[in-house]
Amino acid sequence: MQPLIPLLTTILPALYALSVAAYGRAYADEASTGGRWGPVALRVAVLVHLLYLSARGVTEGHLPLASAYDFLSATALSLAAVYTYLELRQGVRTTGIFVLPLVFLMQVISSAYGNTVPASQPPLFPFWFELHTMTAVLGYGAFFVSAIYGVLFLLLYREIKANRLSFFFRRMPPLETLGRMNVSAASAGLVLLGLAILMGIGWARMANVALAKDPKTWLTVGAWLLLGFAVLAYHRLGWRGPRAVYASLAGFTTLLLSRVVTDLFVRSFHTWR
Amino acid sequence: MSTAAGTMAPELGFFCVGLNHETSPLEIRDALVLSDEEVGRAIRALRERAGASEALVISTCNRTEVYARGAELPNPPAFVAALLQEIKGLDLAGSGKSYLYTYREPESIRHLFRVACGLDSQILGEPQITGQVKDSLTLAGKLGGSGPVMERLLDAALRCAKRARTETGIGRGPVSSAYAAVNLATKVLGSLADKKVLLIGAGEMAGLAACHFMEAGIAQFMVANRSRERAEKLSATIAARVISLEAIPVALPGADIVVSATSAQEPVVREAMVRNAMKIRKNRPLLFLDLAVPRDVDPHVARLPNVFVHDLDALGQLVAQSLAQRRAEVPKVEAIIEAEMARFLRWHRSLAVKPTVTAFRSHFEEIAKEELDRHRGRFRPEDHAALEALVHGIVQKLLHRPTTRLSRADGEEGGIARVDAVRDLFGIDQEDRDADRDAR
Repeated sequence: MQPLIPLLTTILPALYALSVAAYGRAYADEASTGGRWGPVALRVAVLVHLLYLSARGVTEGHLPLASAYDFLSATALSLAAVYTYLELRQGVRTTGIFVLPLVFLMQVISSAYGNTVPASQPPLFPFWFELHTMTAVLGYGAFFVSAIYGVLFLLLYREIKANRLSFFFRRMPPLETLGRMNVSAASAGLVLLGLAILMGIGWARMANVALAKDPKTWLTVGAWLLLGFAVLAYHRLGWRGPRAVYASLAGFTTLLLSRVVTDLFVRSFHTWR
Repeated sequence: MSTAAGTMAPELGFFCVGLNHETSPLEIRDALVLSDEEVGRAIRALRERAGASEALVISTCNRTEVYARGAELPNPPAFVAALLQEIKGLDLAGSGKSYLYTYREPESIRHLFRVACGLDSQILGEPQITGQVKDSLTLAGKLGGSGPVMERLLDAALRCAKRARTETGIGRGPVSSAYAAVNLATKVLGSLADKKVLLIGAGEMAGLAACHFMEAGIAQFMVANRSRERAEKLSATIAARVISLEAIPVALPGADIVVSATSAQEPVVREAMVRNAMKIRKNRPLLFLDLAVPRDVDPHVARLPNVFVHDLDALGQLVAQSLAQRRAEVPKVEAIIEAEMARFLRWHRSLAVKPTVTAFRSHFEEIAKEELDRHRGRFRPEDHAALEALVHGIVQKLLHRPTTRLSRADGEEGGIARVDAVRDLFGIDQEDRDADRDAR
């Protein structure tokens, strides 16, 4: 498996670049409903990404989440996978260009600067703590996609309200669909992050770690509650439109803030080294 | 008889004479719309009096066109003008204006293809014309007007139209305000299947919009109108519930789309009314399509969150965008037309190539047979079979390459010239003409 890793590290950004180019071309061509090469390239990229992370896992003896670059790569995979799921479910192919450049960028940085962890390094934490990290990363990816659709919703909402029926208006799916994509991605994120929080609490009890003193934990739980409220409001209170989107964006911003605060301003066991 | 390549090709003898929205006013076009029975009379006249081997008439509210093949007419437009006068009693020649246009081969073929693709329509790229061309061919078939060549030509035109629709954006986007309204509603609300429409006003514009919404899958309508009688007339066609104008505030929370097209001088829908409705409908999106001049919906309504108000200007903007996009697609459609024309003409040329090949081979085989018969007596009877095999083998070997090259002539540059040269060199023009006539 080890000789395969440098090859996959190089191929992966190239495959995402190909996806970005194909989705970009499909978006620009008004006669197209989204093209077919973009989805093909993206699905291949997701499979190769899975293979890459598996190869890293087998070689290193633990899930490849040992550095911030690994975190970027896993988030990129999460974004790509959640986007692929939404595309399949909603049948919308013209929004890929707003998600995939981020995936590409994350993977380029990870491929260029990552892979510094020596092979066969012993695992630092038990497997299910790693699972906590992995589900959290997947959750972040889902919330990231949700936020992108939230922003797209707001842009289209403003265009329609102002009677600016531009190219963007013509290429976007219905406003209602964008709202649904925003909530669907947030729901997936909610489940994944919820699992991550539960596993984290379980691990902290066993390891005698004082979670109550960790600002990251509180910010994450706060973000989860905000996002939970946004999803609940959509399904139970019938919230539609900007109000529901602003609620989910507030949750995502809090989540992002928790990451930035943890990495830059405080010392916590959550800090990436 | 000259083709684009400048070589000799069998003539199709196909012309088109007609008028359309660009060459004639509505009253002339209206007066010249032909019924099926009148189309039958025209086709009979073209076949019997003009000597056409095949004929077709396309008659819609925007055009009346006569297509004929093999007619022996010195002045086709004069004949068609006289024919239309005979059938409809309208003297086109006497009006002093030239409403009729005439296309001869290959422009006549190109024109037919353009018509089928909607490039010659009043609304660029409109799809109805393709069906009308198809119906015209069916009618011509029933009336004995069309034959194998015309059918092949119409097949090519319809294939061309299908390709234009699937491979280009010539039919994409709304091109009327009513259809633009449906388009906009879909953009805001997604699927319209479970949505409810409130129509304020029961005039032509509201009716047209209702028809488009019905086609888009909406089944629940309410009509509010000052005149109940008129509202009930509209409700009969769309199965709507009729309400009074005073009941609009009560009906508003249950509607997802409001189409307003009254002649009221003051706004019919006020901000307070919509604000209350939005509270009841828990802020679910509400779309107003204001098709009235002056506007029926108070402009302040647009400020409310999740309320979308679009007037005729906005819908006109959508229509203009669609038309501009369709115009940009015209070169792509024209490229398809040229490709399909070339394909059809290649097929037609092959009608002349096949008989030439047959005649060419027969010519040599007859010479061989004559020579064999002439010299048969000089050989022993037991050698006759071997002799025949020998001569046959030589003829086949000599003919193999020329026959192969001739068979491919219809698809090659200068191929038709080669066919002409063979006809000339071996004196098989007469046989070719007979065979061509048989094939037609």
